[in-house]
Amino acid sequence: MSHLAIFLPSLLGFSALALAMERHQESVFDRALPASLTRVLRNLGWAALLAALAVAVETQGWGLGLVSYSGHTSASAGLVFGLLIAWQRRRSAR
Amino acid sequence: MSEKRAESAAPKPRGIRQTMSDLHIWAGLLLGWMLYAMFLTGTVSYFKNEISQWARPELAHQASVPDPADVAQRVAGELGRLAAGSSQWSIGLPSARENTAEAFWRLASAQPGQRRFGQATFDPATGHKVTARDTTGGEFFYRFHFQFHYMPVLWGRWLAGLAAMFMLVAIVSGVITHKKIFTDFFTFRWAKGQRSWLDAHNALSVFGLPFHLMITYTGLVTLMALYMPYGERLAFKTPQERQQLTRELNAFIQPGKPSGRAAELAPVADMVRQAQALWGRDNIARVTITLPGDAASRVAVARGEEGRASMSPQYLLFEGSSGRLLETHDSVGPAAETRGVMYALHLGRFGDTVTRWLYFLVSLAGTAMVGTGLVMWTVKRRRKLPDPARPHLGFRLVERLNIATIAGLSIAMATFLWSNRLLPGTLAQRGEWEIHAFFIAWALALAHAVLRPPRRAWIELLWVGAAMLALLPVLNMLTTDRPLWRSIAEGDWVFAGMDLVLWALAALHVKLALRTARHKAPVPRGAQSPRTKAPAPAGERTVPSVPRTTFDATHGATPSQDALR
Repeated sequence: MSHLAIFLPSLLGFSALALAMERHQESVFDRALPASLTRVLRNLGWAALLAALAVAVETQGWGLGLVSYSGHTSASAGLVFGLLIAWQRRRSAR
Repeated sequence: MSEKRAESAAPKPRGIRQTMSDLHIWAGLLLGWMLYAMFLTGTVSYFKNEISQWARPELAHQASVPDPADVAQRVAGELGRLAAGSSQWSIGLPSARENTAEAFWRLASAQPGQRRFGQATFDPATGHKVTARDTTGGEFFYRFHFQFHYMPVLWGRWLAGLAAMFMLVAIVSGVITHKKIFTDFFTFRWAKGQRSWLDAHNALSVFGLPFHLMITYTGLVTLMALYMPYGERLAFKTPQERQQLTRELNAFIQPGKPSGRAAELAPVADMVRQAQALWGRDNIARVTITLPGDAASRVAVARGEEGRASMSPQYLLFEGSSGRLLETHDSVGPAAETRGVMYALHLGRFGDTVTRWLYFLVSLAGTAMVGTGLVMWTVKRRRKLPDPARPHLGFRLVERLNIATIAGLSIAMATFLWSNRLLPGTLAQRGEWEIHAFFIAWALALAHAVLRPPRRAWIELLWVGAAMLALLPVLNMLTTDRPLWRSIAEGDWVFAGMDLVLWALAALHVKLALRTARHKAPVPRGAQSPRTKAPAPAGERTVPSVPRTTFDATHGATPSQDALR
């Protein structure tokens, strides 16, 4: 199930990176998070993306690993993107 | 490029971003319809084998892959009867995605201008020829996406190459136009009207950008020998050199000179087993046999595409009469390997099921990117029309072509699948008629788009597409003995998957039709404030609680930039 082990860290990574942005903090938490927490989120995001890359290359080799890494990062970024939109729409509907 | 420079350039009459924006708009529009069709048919081609299986419901679902070694032996035996005297047989073996073996062979008596190859499909279990309906199946969408139809193959490929070059230009100019495209990766506001078209277009472009760039570039690489043959012509002059080039790029070996001495072909299964020991049991793609029955016979066993991101040929070459291994061809030079990797990246055949789905989804996003871009061209311009009720010819042309291309292609592709189930098996050239049906439906959709008011045409054609897609699983249930519940019960995910994906696509069309129907016609708005172009989008851009917006900081004033957003 190496695909899940690539996809989940990618998802976590992009979620953390999105939440490290002020505008999304405001939309999700209604306020900006402290700078220290933002930094942690940003580092966590990048670390998770790197971890996903490591898993991909480790389990599938460089050739296939890079390809599925690209696919999983695209899909997880798209998912985070979609969730943020859905969240914003729900809020603006209220 | 540095942001500072760009910002200082923005107020000038034609800055780089302005120019790039115009380039993006016109490069995208000019071949956009062709690109949309190439993208969508190319996207479904990631499931070409599955569509082809669906298109031949007579051939039973394959629960497990039969041993390729045995299948190769059986089919070679059958070819000994069917194609005796042929100088070249080539056997494609079944795989997890392919439930039949197929073969083609060089016809011995071919006169110039006649067909040069015979072709047949075989049952892997018995090795006998199978009879199924005459259809091109998923192969049609695949071929169409790079060579179209009703024109010489080479013309089609040149056209596809031209479209791909325009796509590359549109991608690069699009990135330059939106300088904050990467920093604003997650910036998205849900607004109404034209703003959400732009946002959707940006979102689809950004999150698939690596893929769009890769697929367009590698698409050009797959046909580079056609587009740019000059280096090759200069470097390889003698026939021997050209033959060597072919060997480097292709596992399909050509027959040598017959010796004239008869010699029985050694067991093919044993040769395939040697290859299986190297590459795995189910990873054998093709067995090519030259001069069978002659002492100079050769057998090439080629590795499958699974599990390596390269199309460079790998094969074992055997002496046909003795079964002795002559040569292991398992690597090519760096240039050939670069091509092989790019080729493989484009086709994505190496991938397992998950990877193939990822390819499909991101490619679908690319299709939507082209589609939203096309629609945006009209959305942006409608409000600036002097009289929105009676737009000028160019506007009407783009609008109608958009409807016919986007809504019409879904109908055409669904019609292809409908005709696959409905055309009688006795019809002469049945496979060709499926393709004619595709184009007839597309032409009818164009006629509809021209004759009806545009908004009505969108809604009606989207509904037609939704209905045709949604009813395909029902049609399949009525015309075959493989309804959805049976497919699921038997674990036949090729058929079950087709049914479910068709319904998902139908739901997408319903959603689009409903949205279009709900969307207020922008005409009154343009009539209200024909003179206030700039303030209107500016007002729309400002969303409460979100002060920093996506792409608006520096370039809001020029009319054409305005057109982009």
